Amino acid sequence: MIDKQFISSYQQNKKKRKVYTILIIILLIFISFMISMNTGYIRLSPLQLLETLIGMGTEQQNLILFEFRLPRIVISVLVGMGLALAGCVLQGVSGNPLADPGILGINSGAGLAVVLFISFFPSTSDVPVMFLPVLAFIGAGVTAIIIYALSYKRGEGISPTRLMLTGVAIAAGISAAMIILTLRLTPDNYQFVAVWLAGSIWGSNWMFVLSLLPWLLILIPYIFIKARVLNTLNLGEVTATGLGVNIEKERLFLLAAAVALAGSSVSVSGGIGFIGLIAPHLARQLVGGKHQFVIPAAAALGALLLLVADTIGRWFIQPSEIPAGIVVAVIGAPYFLYLLAKSKA
Amino acid sequence: MPSLAIDQVKVGYSNLIILDDLSVEIPEQKITTIVGANGCGKSTLLKAIARILKTQKGAVYLDGKAIQLLPTKEVAKKMAILPQSSQVPTGLTVYELISYGRFPYQTGMGTLKVDDLKHIDWAIEATGLNPLKDRPVEALSGGQRQRVWIAMALAQDTEILILDEPTTYLDLAHQLDILLLLQKLNKEQKRTIIMVLHDLNHASRVSHNLVAMRDGAIIEEGTPEQVMTQSNLKAIFDIEATMSTCPFSNNPIYLSYTLSQSTKHMVQNKKSG
Repeated sequence: MIDKQFISSYQQNKKKRKVYTILIIILLIFISFMISMNTGYIRLSPLQLLETLIGMGTEQQNLILFEFRLPRIVISVLVGMGLALAGCVLQGVSGNPLADPGILGINSGAGLAVVLFISFFPSTSDVPVMFLPVLAFIGAGVTAIIIYALSYKRGEGISPTRLMLTGVAIAAGISAAMIILTLRLTPDNYQFVAVWLAGSIWGSNWMFVLSLLPWLLILIPYIFIKARVLNTLNLGEVTATGLGVNIEKERLFLLAAAVALAGSSVSVSGGIGFIGLIAPHLARQLVGGKHQFVIPAAAALGALLLLVADTIGRWFIQPSEIPAGIVVAVIGAPYFLYLLAKSKA
Repeated sequence: MPSLAIDQVKVGYSNLIILDDLSVEIPEQKITTIVGANGCGKSTLLKAIARILKTQKGAVYLDGKAIQLLPTKEVAKKMAILPQSSQVPTGLTVYELISYGRFPYQTGMGTLKVDDLKHIDWAIEATGLNPLKDRPVEALSGGQRQRVWIAMALAQDTEILILDEPTTYLDLAHQLDILLLLQKLNKEQKRTIIMVLHDLNHASRVSHNLVAMRDGAIIEEGTPEQVMTQSNLKAIFDIEATMSTCPFSNNPIYLSYTLSQSTKHMVQNKKSG
């Protein structure tokens, strides 16, 4: 009896530790948030920051904080969460821990849409820039549908391996098309495209926050509810079917959710890779393999990573800045190699 | 009508038909083992029974209803499946993995209720996994892992257990260990067990009912005494076997065997051709 109590308290302790881990990540997000508010060409002291936040700042301070920095920080957090969750879902659905939203052609599809737009409407200043995220989202969605359709086989449905390979092939094809298109752009437009593709979190105003928020508000709870399904999908097709999971249906809906999350994120942030790969992976290292914990941990880690990356990018070569996507890649590429070296297969 | 009946099924992969017009009934509360040569369709039959493969014609009936028409979650409350090899996800403890067996009974976020905990604890107890329950599954040996998968299937609380070669990759002692565990579950819990085994002597030792297959058809079906005969083994595997009796179960076993004349020719022809 004593033994049993001890063991159940062991289970309880483990659960508590996981919850604490997630809370610590959220605390780190807050700290990064404060530092990020203070990072930029014009520095604000912590006191000034506080004053401005509670509405006692000067006009200039208000402008910097509420119109420039805050929306950008919020976007970083939301995009980080979106990409991390998209990666989390893709890795769960495919059973491949190295899957990333990039493999569904989301980054390349969105990029192609942006390049096409700028090729046909060269004077970006005249055309409402608000169209860009919509176009990028459509580009991402169409590409994902094409990849899905190409890897669908009658009678067998979608095999994750076929999905990955098709994704890689399509992404390579789109990249080639993009290079051809960008060669014909004017230097100004070319620079815009290059910065977009590098993932610069360019859409930093409240309008973009509003365009992103509904997706997250709908899809994050959906993915939370599907935690158990993701758990079983990780055990392989036969076991999942045996447990009563309708694999075909769940896969389709979860993939669609991942595409929508990643597509809406990339559409305002530009081509950011690696977050979707690293965040879920780190999350599993910290809280284990159960998706009930992996999902919140990955979302928090994604937000933290992108916020830190963007802050570093803004601080590193002031007054100029490095796109967050590049900072993420600089951290992410070695981590990816480390993962490959460590994986047994 | 038995709880599980396979009625004139046609099963295959896209254009390749493996089973055609095959019918068999699975006796309730008994251990049924499907045996046969490589590629004879025994795994395909098992997958059709477990609704992993769809039947192109005919149907598998569970309690008198066509299994493809039943909601998959309802089927999962009656029948658990252990595939030949399962992916072991990283970062899961034995307890966590076994708790996944409660999936068909859960809703929403999946907090484990008292009833769930009871079944999980029982499954851990029955498979003797108590000392290992907080270990990561990756850290276990092959035999221990197989016990964990069986425990997960037990937590699913089903009348029927379906296992595809549950002893593959295990050494002799662990093979028997798993089979005796299944035998015990059948005796004490009255669970219907359907499995595929490669080892005929093992199959004969633990099964009530053997189904012998060749080229997608059933050659012989019945008790080990009926199926494990010299002439049947020749018909199923093309081997000349010397038969004996298992001192533990009193069921027939083979002592040793040679290839029968026709097979020798086949092997030689293949070499020269």
